Amino acid sequence: MTQLTYAKIDQTILDTLTPPKWTYWGILVLLFIGVLIGAACWTYQIFVGIGVGGQNNPVAWGTYLINFVFWVGIAHSGTLISAILHLFRAGWRNPIARAAETMTVFAVCVAGLFPFIHLGRVWQVYYMLPIPNQRLLWPNFLSPLMFDVIAISTYLTVSSLFWYTGMLPDLAAVRDRSTGTRHKIFTFLSFGWTGAHEQWRHFTRGYLFFAALATPLVISVHSVVSWDFALGIVPGWHTTIFAPYFVAGAIHSGLAMVLTLMIPLRKLFKYEDIITMEVLQNVAKTIVLTGLIVGLAYGTEYFLAWYSHNTVEMEQFRWRALGDYRWGFYFMVLCNTLAPLLFLFKKIRTTIISLFIISLIINFGMWWERFVIIVGGVAHGFAPHAWGLYRPTMIEFGIMFGTFCLFFFLFMLFAKHLPSVSMTEMKETLEGGHDHAA
Amino acid sequence: MPHERHIMGLFKNEEHVISAVEALKTSPYEFIRVNTPIPSHKIMQALNLKKSKVGWFTLCGGIIGFFSGFGLAAFTATRWDLIVSGKPIMAIIPFVIVGFEATILFAVFGNVIGLLTQMRMPNSGWLKYYDPRCSGEHFGVLATCEAHQKDGLEDFFRKRGAEVKSFKSSPKELI
Repeated sequence: MTQLTYAKIDQTILDTLTPPKWTYWGILVLLFIGVLIGAACWTYQIFVGIGVGGQNNPVAWGTYLINFVFWVGIAHSGTLISAILHLFRAGWRNPIARAAETMTVFAVCVAGLFPFIHLGRVWQVYYMLPIPNQRLLWPNFLSPLMFDVIAISTYLTVSSLFWYTGMLPDLAAVRDRSTGTRHKIFTFLSFGWTGAHEQWRHFTRGYLFFAALATPLVISVHSVVSWDFALGIVPGWHTTIFAPYFVAGAIHSGLAMVLTLMIPLRKLFKYEDIITMEVLQNVAKTIVLTGLIVGLAYGTEYFLAWYSHNTVEMEQFRWRALGDYRWGFYFMVLCNTLAPLLFLFKKIRTTIISLFIISLIINFGMWWERFVIIVGGVAHGFAPHAWGLYRPTMIEFGIMFGTFCLFFFLFMLFAKHLPSVSMTEMKETLEGGHDHAA
Repeated sequence: MPHERHIMGLFKNEEHVISAVEALKTSPYEFIRVNTPIPSHKIMQALNLKKSKVGWFTLCGGIIGFFSGFGLAAFTATRWDLIVSGKPIMAIIPFVIVGFEATILFAVFGNVIGLLTQMRMPNSGWLKYYDPRCSGEHFGVLATCEAHQKDGLEDFFRKRGAEVKSFKSSPKELI
């Protein structure tokens, strides 16, 4: 490993913006085809009707809402890394903060699509806007669904502005080292940033406020998402621990996605000196913590069902472990709480391949967690004659596939066209000393 | 002043920048600004800068946001004031959630407006008398002098270990 300098940081990161090889465009085309498949499935659903999905009575909330919660969750660790760890002055977050913030923005964009998809008659989305309808009725802000509209749109706006503001000095650095059209584009994008002391004086203050505002926001957003469920009286949903449970789960899945994205990025862009093994280890250690919190939440749910002596609640949780969707429950427990414990072994958390595989396992498990909670609750409610099962259709799988492709398509576009590591923050890390940089 | 010359000393070490800035204060030359690739607290302290006012914009945005969010929820509730199951029309707790989200949203808008107005951006004027190396590994100290003092200012920077860049005179003023 070579000693990092300002020049080496610039060189390494700017080298990633050189014109890509044909393999890059090839992968991008394949991902775009995936996006088109998803778009075609959604178009088919719009023309034929929401009935092409597997949602039924009683399971009216299926993969669309599962994916919504999954992607909102993925978005959360970006803000954890960029805002919360910034406030705690954790220098190890600097190499991964930019990519994690970008992941946040794209994940919220993808998540934001699902309520539209789930609506079926998507053109009636204006019912959620604070305007009166034809009969002068306004949206009901007592509903957690309306909290969610406000929370998600706020989160998308705030995380996008936070991301762009933090990138201004780097956009200027690219401007200063480019020519022709690229120079013109980056001159426009960098707003005239020159790193003058007057600019830094306001920038550092403003960035601190961004972080301070994003921190309570990130906690509130997934709490609000959890209240979409917890404010309903459905067994398995109607519980007070849902907000911290969802927030911890969101950060858990998001950190796993950070590893999933960072490990290939580190290899492809030769970021080994920047995204060091120490940084990946710290993410892994944080995953152990969030995995334990999630495990505690799983256990607490069972404890409360037993301790309450509520027959319906007890049946819900018996069925969760032994009923039709027991495999989903086993996946979520194994993948989200037991697999991350492997990171307690130094050998495992310092091996790239094991870090990558376990991150994929956690992503898989977190998707199943949302399946178990969302589908399990309504499938096995109060009245036995109203119990039912749900299975996603090919159209739903197509839309899900398309949105996953959309996320990776956007991330690949970003990685090759904008600085994927913050040059400024990396240089600050050097000034703080290597102990601070970890 | 058309005979005025702008000269930038480009340093690789922030300690040298601080000593140059301190020395400029007692020199016949006029200090204009420092361009740095990172926010240097040591340099900011040496320049004895005032606290930024961005926070006031953020605070105003947050206050406006809370009342807007809470007010929107309250207003819409009063448009259909039919009491259901004895539940209040004005439900404080749910409306505070809407108010909270709007507080964050508007505070961030205030923060962005504060940043743009205080930093006077977007503005290509900042690029005047600027060296692109300042976004890389150099710290640029910009100073002005009369045309006949040009050599003296250049020597001033060189003695402190800087590379020197002289800009052509321009009648336009700096930002």
